[in-house]
Amino acid sequence: MMRITSAIGRRTLLKTAAAVGGALSMPAIIRSAAAAEPVKIGCLFSSSGTMANIEGRLSHVCRMAAQEINAKGGVLGRPVEVTVTDPASDWPLYAQLGRQLLLQEKVASLFGCWTSVSRKSVLPVVEQNNGLLFYPLHFEGEENSKNVVYLNSPPASSVLPALEYLMSDDGGKAKRFYMLGSDYVWPRTINKICKGYWTSKGFKETSWREQYVPFGFSNFQTIVNDIRKFASEPGGQPIIVLTVVGDSIPAFFKEIISQGIRATDIPVLGLDVLEADLEGLDTAPMVGHLNCWAYLQNASSPHNDRFKAAWKSYVDTNRLPFRNNVVIDPMVSTYDGVHLWAAACQKAGTTDTDAVRAAFAGLTFDCPSGYKIGMSAENTYVSRGVFIGSVNDQQAFDILWQSDGAPKPVPFSPYA
Amino acid sequence: MSERPRHRPPPWRQLAHALLALAALLAAPARADESYGRDAVVRHLCEAKSEPMAQAIGALLTAVAAGREEAAWGARIVAALDGKRLLCAPAGPRLLRDGAVLRDPVTGREAVAPDRLPNAPFVNLRTRAWVEVATAALALFAEPGGAAASAQVAVLEKQYAIVPETALAALVERQPAPDLRDRLLLVRALQSLEAPSADARVSAIATIAGDPTARNRTLLAALAARPDYAADPAVRAALDTAMAHIDTWLRVGEVGAVLFSGLSYASILFMAALGLAVIFGLMGVINLAQGELIMIGAYATWLVQEALRALAPALLDWYLLLAVPVAFAAAAAVGMAMEATVIRHLYRRPLMTLLATWAISLFLVNLVQVLFGTQNLEFVTPAFLAGGTRVVADFMVTWNRLFAIAFAVGILALALLVLHRTPLGLFVRAVTENRDMAECVGVSTRRIDLLSFGVGSGLAGLAGLALTPIYNVNPTMGTNFIVDSFLVVVLGGVGNLAGTLIAALGIGQINIVIEPLYGAVAAKVIVLLMIILFIQFRPEGIFSVKGRR
Amino acid sequence: MNALAPTIVRRRGFAVPQGLAGPVAAVLAAAAVAVVVAGRTDAGPSVYLMNLVGQAAVYGLLAVALDLIWGYAGILSLGHGLYFAIGGYLIAMHLVTVAFHTSGTPPDFMLFMGWTELPVYYAGMDMLGYSAALILLLPALVAFLFGLVSFRSRVTGVYFAIITQALVYVAMLLFFRNDTGFGGNNGMTGFTHIAGQPLSERGTVAVLCALSLLAAAAALFGLDRLVRSRFGHMLVAVRDDEARLRFLGYDTLWIKLAVWCLSAVLAAVAGALYVPQVGIVNPRVLSPELSLEIAVWVAIGGRGTLVGAFLGAVVITTLKFLLTAWIPVLWPFVLSALVLVVVITLPNGFLDAGGALARLRRRAAGGEGRA
Repeated sequence: MMRITSAIGRRTLLKTAAAVGGALSMPAIIRSAAAAEPVKIGCLFSSSGTMANIEGRLSHVCRMAAQEINAKGGVLGRPVEVTVTDPASDWPLYAQLGRQLLLQEKVASLFGCWTSVSRKSVLPVVEQNNGLLFYPLHFEGEENSKNVVYLNSPPASSVLPALEYLMSDDGGKAKRFYMLGSDYVWPRTINKICKGYWTSKGFKETSWREQYVPFGFSNFQTIVNDIRKFASEPGGQPIIVLTVVGDSIPAFFKEIISQGIRATDIPVLGLDVLEADLEGLDTAPMVGHLNCWAYLQNASSPHNDRFKAAWKSYVDTNRLPFRNNVVIDPMVSTYDGVHLWAAACQKAGTTDTDAVRAAFAGLTFDCPSGYKIGMSAENTYVSRGVFIGSVNDQQAFDILWQSDGAPKPVPFSPYA
Repeated sequence: MSERPRHRPPPWRQLAHALLALAALLAAPARADESYGRDAVVRHLCEAKSEPMAQAIGALLTAVAAGREEAAWGARIVAALDGKRLLCAPAGPRLLRDGAVLRDPVTGREAVAPDRLPNAPFVNLRTRAWVEVATAALALFAEPGGAAASAQVAVLEKQYAIVPETALAALVERQPAPDLRDRLLLVRALQSLEAPSADARVSAIATIAGDPTARNRTLLAALAARPDYAADPAVRAALDTAMAHIDTWLRVGEVGAVLFSGLSYASILFMAALGLAVIFGLMGVINLAQGELIMIGAYATWLVQEALRALAPALLDWYLLLAVPVAFAAAAAVGMAMEATVIRHLYRRPLMTLLATWAISLFLVNLVQVLFGTQNLEFVTPAFLAGGTRVVADFMVTWNRLFAIAFAVGILALALLVLHRTPLGLFVRAVTENRDMAECVGVSTRRIDLLSFGVGSGLAGLAGLALTPIYNVNPTMGTNFIVDSFLVVVLGGVGNLAGTLIAALGIGQINIVIEPLYGAVAAKVIVLLMIILFIQFRPEGIFSVKGRR
Repeated sequence: MNALAPTIVRRRGFAVPQGLAGPVAAVLAAAAVAVVVAGRTDAGPSVYLMNLVGQAAVYGLLAVALDLIWGYAGILSLGHGLYFAIGGYLIAMHLVTVAFHTSGTPPDFMLFMGWTELPVYYAGMDMLGYSAALILLLPALVAFLFGLVSFRSRVTGVYFAIITQALVYVAMLLFFRNDTGFGGNNGMTGFTHIAGQPLSERGTVAVLCALSLLAAAAALFGLDRLVRSRFGHMLVAVRDDEARLRFLGYDTLWIKLAVWCLSAVLAAVAGALYVPQVGIVNPRVLSPELSLEIAVWVAIGGRGTLVGAFLGAVVITTLKFLLTAWIPVLWPFVLSALVLVVVITLPNGFLDAGGALARLRRRAAGGEGRA
C-alpha cells in the first residue's frame, strides 16, 4: 500500500518551506562559507516531470549513503554534504544544473542522470570542467569518457547472458525474437547487439522483427495483436525483447495481460523493467517474464539485508512518498557510487578529480547484490555481477540465474 | 514419457521421430504403472531440474487420469510448487508449507519444523508450462463443470503439445458440457495430427479447421509441406480445404481487429478531447490544464476504490461504476474553482488563459505529486474487465477496451443530452454562437461560463475514470493527452461535438491502419502531416460553426 | 531622442510603455562589450555567470522572435521550437564536422550507425561561412513554404497554432530516429572548437555570451524600428482586422509571410547561439512543451512589447535555473504562483506594472479606470 495522507504532504511542504526560507535569504556563496568545511557532492536526479517516479528516489539514496559515511567520520575527516537539485526531466537543464553545481557550488563530484540523453547533456560539462559524473544506469555502451564513472553494466555483460538463457532448454529454446523498443539510441543499440549476436549463432534475418514506438506511447493494442501474429508463425518458440522505457512498460504489460499472453506462451525479456515499474500492476498473470540487471531486490546477501533495512528506516524517518520495501538496481548503483567515491577520496588523500580517478584502480566495495564490485586502471567502468530475474506474484523478481563472479565490463560490444 | 516435442523436426528425421514417438506412447503407460508413487513425484519435483520435474508432473497427470491418484492431492502439490510452498532440502526433509503449518507432502501429516527452512525449487519457464497444464487439468478432473472450466480448457489448448494423451482422453470423457468437450477434442486433434491412420488425420484436420487461428494455419501449412501428408490425396485435400477455410476467417478476423482497435483508440481520443471541445468552443479558452483534469478524475477513482476497500470490500468490484459521480464531481469542482479564481479575470482575453492554465497545470501536477507520490497507482481489475474473448479467428476483444468504448458512447450521450435537452445546454449553445446577443437577451454569461467550465472539466474527469483500466495513472499522465486532444478538437472544428467525434474516429482509425504497415512512429508522423494538410483545405476544421466572432 | 523618455502609448484603454527597446538594447550592447573585455582578463564575471547570461540572452531573443509575430501580427505559433532547432542543429552539424576533421574521432551517431563518413548533407559543413548562410536561409525557406501554404489557405488563429504544434511534433518524432543522421534522441555533442577557438576557454565563452547579447540588442533595436515603421502599422492592422485590410487593397499574404520568415530566421539565430553554449543539441528543443513555454515567456513579459517578451524569457528561465537548484521540491509551486499573480494582477505582462499601479491609483482617487 502506498502511504498517503495530506498530513504528510503538508508536513513535507512546511519543512521544505522553512529550509527554503533560510536558503533563499542568503546567496549560495555565503551559504557554503557558513558551513564547517564539508565536502560537497551534487545530485542531478529529477524530482518533477516524467522521470520523477524512478529518478526521484536516487537523490535520497545519495543522502542516505552520505549519512552512513558521515557516521563513520566522513571523508578525509570532513563531513559529506549532498546538494540536491531538480533537473525537472528537462535535458538541457541537467547540463545547466551540472555546470552550476561544479562551478558555483564547487561540488567534488556529481551523481546523476537516468536516460542516455541526460548523460550526454552533462558530458560536455564534466569534460570541459574536469568533473566526475557517477552514472548509475545500464546503457547502450559505446562510450568511455574519463569524466564519467559507469556504475552499471554495459549491454555485452548483462543482456547476452539473459538471451543465452532464453535460448537454452530451460528457458524454452527461443528461436524467434520480437524486439519492441522506444524509438531512441538505447533500444536501437541493444537490438543491434542482439541481432549481431543471433547472426553469430546462425539465425537468419527472418527469425526476428523490430518495432519501435514513440516516447510515452501507451496504446499497445495493435502491437500486441502483431506480436500474437508473429508468435503463431512457424519457426519455433518466440520471445519478446522489450526495450520500451518509462510509462510504456506498465502500459505494455497491461495490454499483454488483457490479451491473455502468459510467460509460457511468449516470454518477455524486459531490459528496462524494474521492481518500481511493477508497482501499479497485478503481477500474478505476469509470473515468469524476465529481466536482467546488476542487482535485484531479492538478492540474498547480508549486505542486501542491511541495505534494505537502512532504506526502510530512511523512508520511514523522513516520511518519503515511496514504498519502503521497494529497492531498484539504480538505487544500489548510486549507493555503490557514493561509497566508491568516498573510498577513492580516502585513498587519494584529496577530493581532486585527477587524483580520485587515479585512485579508482583496484578499488573494491561490498555491493548489496552480494558481489564484491571493483574498478580497474583500464577504464572508469565498475565490474558488477549479473542477475536474471523472473517476475513473481509479489511485484518483484525471483532470481533465476546469477553470474559466478563480476564479469569484466566491455564498453564496446563486438556485436554493435 | 508422453511428452511431445513442441516443434516439428526437419523432414529427414521424420521416420526416426515417428518411430520414437510411437515407442514412447506404447511404453509410457507401462512404465508409469511400475514407477508411479507420490514419493517419486515429490522427489523429482525437488530435483529442481526441468526434465525430471516435467516427467513427474506428466506421471502425476497420467496417474490421476487412470484413477490411481487423487486429483486433490495432485492439485495440492502442484499449487504448493507454484506458490513456492514446497520446500526441499538437498538431502533432508521435504515439506509442504500450509499456512503456518508444515506438512509432509506425501502423507499430509503435520511435520516438525527444522531449524532452518529449506528452499523451494524454482519453477523455470519450461516447468512453468507443465505447472499451468497440470493446474488446469487437475482442476478439470476435480470438477469438470466448474466455473473456471472454460479458462482451464483454454490453457490446455495453448499448451496442447505437452498435455499427456491419456489424461486428455479421460478429460474428454468426463466433460459434461458439449462446447468444452468440443474444445478438448480440438486439443486431441492437434495431438493426433501425428496419428498414423489417414482417417484420423483427416478428421483431426477438419476439427482444427473449426478453430481458425493463425497458429493452426501454421500447423497445417507445416503438415502440407511434409511428404507423408502430401502424398495421401484425401489428407492433402482435407488440408487444402482447411487452410482455405482458415485463411478466409483470418482475413475477417483481421478486419475486425483493425476496426476494434481503431474504435478503441478513437474512444480514448474522443473522451480526452470532449471536455476540451466544450470549454474551447464556448470560451475560446486554450485550457492547458485539461490533461490534469483527466488525471484528477483518475485519482478520484482511485480514492473511491480505496474507500470501498476500507469500508465496503464487497462492493470493490464495482468501484468503476460507483466512482462515476465522484470523478465527475471532483474534476468539475477543480475546473469551476479554476474558472472562478483565475479564468474569470481573463475575460475576453483568451490568449492569456494559455499562460494561466499552463501555470495551473504545473501547480496541479506537483500538488498531486506531493500528496500522492510519483508512482503509478494500483487499480484492482474488476473481474468483468479482466482479459477478453476471442470473437473470430485471432480477433480478440478485451473487456477493458470494450468498457472504454461503451463509456465513450455513454459520455457522448450525456453531453448531447445536456447540450440539447436542458436549459443549461440551450444557454451554452447560445453563448457559443453569439455571446453578446445572448447577454442582451438576459443570459447570465458569467454563470454559464462557470457551469459549462464545470461540465467540460467533469467530462474530462470521466475520461480519467475510463482510462484507468488501460493506461498508467500518475501525476504526469495528463501531459500525454494535451497535444492529441487539441488536434482532435481543432480538426473537428471548434465548438462542434459531431466534428470532435468524427475527428477522433478518423484519427484513431487511420492511425491503427497505418501502424502495422510502417510502425507506430511513422503512423503518428503520417497522421499529423495529414492533419496539417487537411487544415489547409478546411481552415476551420471538418465542421465550422457559423457563429459571429 | 525619444528613446530616452519612454512614451506611453494608449492602446485599448491600457497603458503600455513603449520605447524601452532602445535603452535596453543599448544596455545589452554595453554589457556585451564589457563581457568581451572581461573575457580577455581573469577579472570580472565567472565563466559560469557569462554562460548563464549568454543562455538567458538567447532565450530572450527567441521570445522576441515569437513576440514579433504573435504580439504584432497576431499569428500565434506553438511550434517556434522548430526554427530554433534548425539553427541549433545546423551549428551542431558544423561543430561536429569540425571536431571530426580535426581530431579524427567520429561523432557518436556515426559509431552507433556504423558509418565511416558523414552523410552527404554534411558536405561543406566544416566551413563556418557556409553553415552561417544555411542558418539564415534554411529556416527562411522552411518558414516560407509552410507560411505560403497556410496563409494562402487563410488558416488563422488557433487552427494555425495547432498545426504549427503538429509540425514541431512531427519534426521531433523524426529527429528521434537514429538513421536520420542527427544523432537520434541523444542528439549531437562532443563539440571542441568554434572558429578555431576552444569552446571550453574563458575567452570563447565570453565571446559567445557577448554575441548573444549583441544579437538580442540588435533584434530589439531593429525590430523596434520596424514595428514603428509603416510596415509595423500594417502588421498591427493585420492583427486587429485582417479582413478590412484586405478590403482596403493590401495583400496581407506578403506582409504576413515576410514577418513570419523574419521571425523564423531570428529564432534560428537564437538556436545557433544557444547550442555552442550548452554543448549539446537534441530533439528536446523540438518538444511541444518548449514551444509552448516560449509563448508563456512572451505572455508573462507582455505580449506586444518587445522588451517585455525579452525580459519575460530572461526572468522565467533564470528563475528556473536558480530555483531548481535552490528549492528542488518547491520550485514548481513558486513558479506557478508567480505566473498566476502576474496574469491576474498585471493583465498586460509584468512590464505593465507601472500602468497597473497607475490604474489602481486612479481607482483609489475615484477615477473611472476599468479593471
